[in-house]
Amino acid sequence: MHGVHGRYLRVDLGAGRGTPVPLSPLVHQRLLGGIGLASYLLDRYCPPGADPLGPDNPLVFATSPFVGTGITTASKIAVATKSPQTGVIGDSLSSSYLALALKRTGCDALVITGQAPRPTLLVVDGDRVALRPAAALLGLDPVATAAAVRAELGAGFRVAAIGVAGERGVRYAAISNDGRLAGRTGPGAVMGSKHLKAIAVRGGALPSVADPAGVAAAARDLAARSLGPGSAKYREIGTAANLAFFNRMGLLPTRNFQAGQFEAAEAISGETLLLEHRTGKHGCAACTVGCEHHYRTRDGGPVTETRLEYETLFALGSLCGVSDPNTVLRAAARCDALGMDAISAGATVAWAMECAARGVDLGYPAAEIPRFGDGDSLLRALDAIGHRQGIGDLLAEGSRRAAAIVGQGSEGWAMHVKGLELPGYDPRKLRTLALGLAVGTRGACHNRSSAYEADLSDRLAPVAADRARAAAAADAEDQAAVLDSLTICKFLRHCFGDFYAEAADLFTRVTGCATTSDDLRRAGARINNLKKRFNISQGWTRADDKLPPRLLAGNGDPDGLTAARLDNLISAYYQVRGWAADGTIPTSHLDEIGLADVFAEGSTRVARDL
Amino acid sequence: MTTQVAGIEVELFGVPRVLARQRALRVTGSTLGEVAAALGVACPALIGAVIDGELRWLREGYTFVVDERFTRDPAYRLAASSSVLLVSSVAGG
Repeated sequence: MHGVHGRYLRVDLGAGRGTPVPLSPLVHQRLLGGIGLASYLLDRYCPPGADPLGPDNPLVFATSPFVGTGITTASKIAVATKSPQTGVIGDSLSSSYLALALKRTGCDALVITGQAPRPTLLVVDGDRVALRPAAALLGLDPVATAAAVRAELGAGFRVAAIGVAGERGVRYAAISNDGRLAGRTGPGAVMGSKHLKAIAVRGGALPSVADPAGVAAAARDLAARSLGPGSAKYREIGTAANLAFFNRMGLLPTRNFQAGQFEAAEAISGETLLLEHRTGKHGCAACTVGCEHHYRTRDGGPVTETRLEYETLFALGSLCGVSDPNTVLRAAARCDALGMDAISAGATVAWAMECAARGVDLGYPAAEIPRFGDGDSLLRALDAIGHRQGIGDLLAEGSRRAAAIVGQGSEGWAMHVKGLELPGYDPRKLRTLALGLAVGTRGACHNRSSAYEADLSDRLAPVAADRARAAAAADAEDQAAVLDSLTICKFLRHCFGDFYAEAADLFTRVTGCATTSDDLRRAGARINNLKKRFNISQGWTRADDKLPPRLLAGNGDPDGLTAARLDNLISAYYQVRGWAADGTIPTSHLDEIGLADVFAEGSTRVARDL
Repeated sequence: MTTQVAGIEVELFGVPRVLARQRALRVTGSTLGEVAAALGVACPALIGAVIDGELRWLREGYTFVVDERFTRDPAYRLAASSSVLLVSSVAGG
C-alpha cells in the first residue's frame, strides 16, 4: 500500500525505549488514517477502566496517507487518548509541520505508553528514540518550549509541547505544535501526567504515492478551488464571522447559556475585529486557505497580538458577558500561553460566574471569584486555572467536576455533555445539532458532528421527522470522521463538488487501493462505531447521551426542545446507526460494517464482550 | 400580479457587511431576485464578491435568510414584514 509506511512506533516511557510495530494495510483501508488510525491504536492499548492520568492510558499521534502529498490542508496530526475530562475517547486534531516530521520518521503513528520518572523530552530522530531531561523547560509556555528544544536539538526538529496547564494537570490542557493546539478533551493533561514536557520529531523520506502525477494534478486543482467561494468566509474574516450572525439568530450562547443574544455582540463581532484589530492572517502547514486571523489589542495597555477563532471569541466573550475586545484578545492569548482549551476554560469560568450571580458559596475569597462582564476577573481566573492556584484549582477540573464538588444545585448550570463543555451554538434552536451534541462520542463537540449544517440551511424542514434528523446527524458525523481521518481540513468541505467521490479518487491515487464513494461513507460509519465501541468498553451507557437540563426546558415554546423529544431523537439515531435500543453495538453489526476483522488483524481484544 | 415591497431592510453579515461598510441596506423588491439586483445597485461594492453583476443574483457561497429560513430561491416572495438577512452559506466553523 502506498502513502503509508505500514508501521507505527511504540514508545514506553517507563522502559525508556521505542519499538516499531507492523501495521496491517487493512487498518488504513478500513479506517483511513488520522483520527481513525489514532482511535484504533487507542482502542488497542487502553485497557478498560484505565486512569486517564495514569501510566496505562496511551497517548497516540497519527498521520494519514495524505500527509506530505501536497494535498492542501492535509498536514494534520490526530491525537487520541482517554480523556481526563470525560473518561471516554478524547480525540483532537491540529495542523502543523509535526505531522510531516512524524511521517518522515518511517512510521505512520506514535503510541506513547507508561510514565517517565521525571520531566522528560522525547526525541524521535528517524528510527532512534531518546529520552532527555526536561526540568529546565518546566514553566515555559509551549512556544518558548519549542524554541528551546529546537535551539538544543537543531532547527530540523518539529516540536509538540505542553504549557503550565499541562504540567499542572488542568483537565482541559492542550498540546501545542507550531502554535496550533490539539485542544479539546485534555490531551495536554495526559502528556503532563506522563511527565512529558515536549516531543521533538525529525525524519527523512516520505513514503511513495501510487500515482505521483495524478496526485499532483488533483492537489493543484483542489488548491485552486480552495481559493473560491466555498472558503471565502474563512479567508476574508475567519470563523469570527459567526458571532454577529449567530447573535441575530438568537444562537449566541450568552452568560453561560442563560440567553442566546448578547447586547454587546457588535463590540466583539468578527466584522468589528477585522476593521479595528486585525493585523494579518496566516495559514497552517501545507494550507492554501489561510483562515488564521491575527489581532492586536488597541486600548493603550500592554500590546497583545494573538490569533482568534469564533469558539474562543464566544467562550471568552459573550459566554462570560465580556464585551471588551481587548480583554477577549488577552484572554485568548493567555489560554494559548498556558496551553489550555479556550472553550472549556471560558465555559468553566462562566459556570463560576453564574454561581457568583446566584450567591452560591464557592469557598474562595471574593476577590478570586469571576463575575459576568468583569474582564479583569476573567483574566485572573484563567491565570489561576493554568497554575491551579486558589479557585483555579477547582476550575481546572472542568465544569462537571467543579459542580459536583460545589453542589448547591450548580450541576444544573454546568454546561457540558459527558464532561466536555458545549461549543458556541445554542442547541435550543438547532435541533439536529442538539442531537449531535448529545450523542457525540467525545462529548459536546461541533467538530465531530457539524450537524448544525442541517439546521443552518434549507436541507431539513423545521418540523423534520426524528428519523430524518437522526440520519442527518449520523451523516454529518460520518463525513467529519472521513475528513478527520484523511486529515483534510473541514474548512475545505464546501470546496468539493462531490466530496466523497473526489476524496475517494484522491485516496486511490495516493494509496493505489481502488476506493469508491461508498467505501469512504462506510469508513466514516466504521470509525464512529469504533469510537463508540471504545466508549462502551470504558463504561459508557445510554444515560450519558444527554444535554444539560437548561437546554431541555422548552422555554414556553410548544415545539421547544424537551427531554422527551431529545430521547426520541436519540432512539431514532440509534436505529439509524444499527445499534440496540440501549445504544450498544450488536456484535453482528461489527461484522456487517467491516470492523470485526480489523480488530482480528492486530488486536487480542476483539473478543471483548460488548 | 406582483406588488413591490418598498423599503425592505436587508441586514448584512460577514463579507457583505465588510464590503458595504454598513450593517443594513434598504432596497425595493417583491422577490429575493429583485432584492439581490437592487442590492447591487444600492451598493456596487457587493458586485463581484457577493452578487454576480451579470446574473444580478447571489454568487455561490452566499444565501438569504428570510424569517429564519435559509433560501437561495430568487422567486421567493417577500412580505412587508419579512426579516431578510444576507450571510455566507457556509455555516459555522
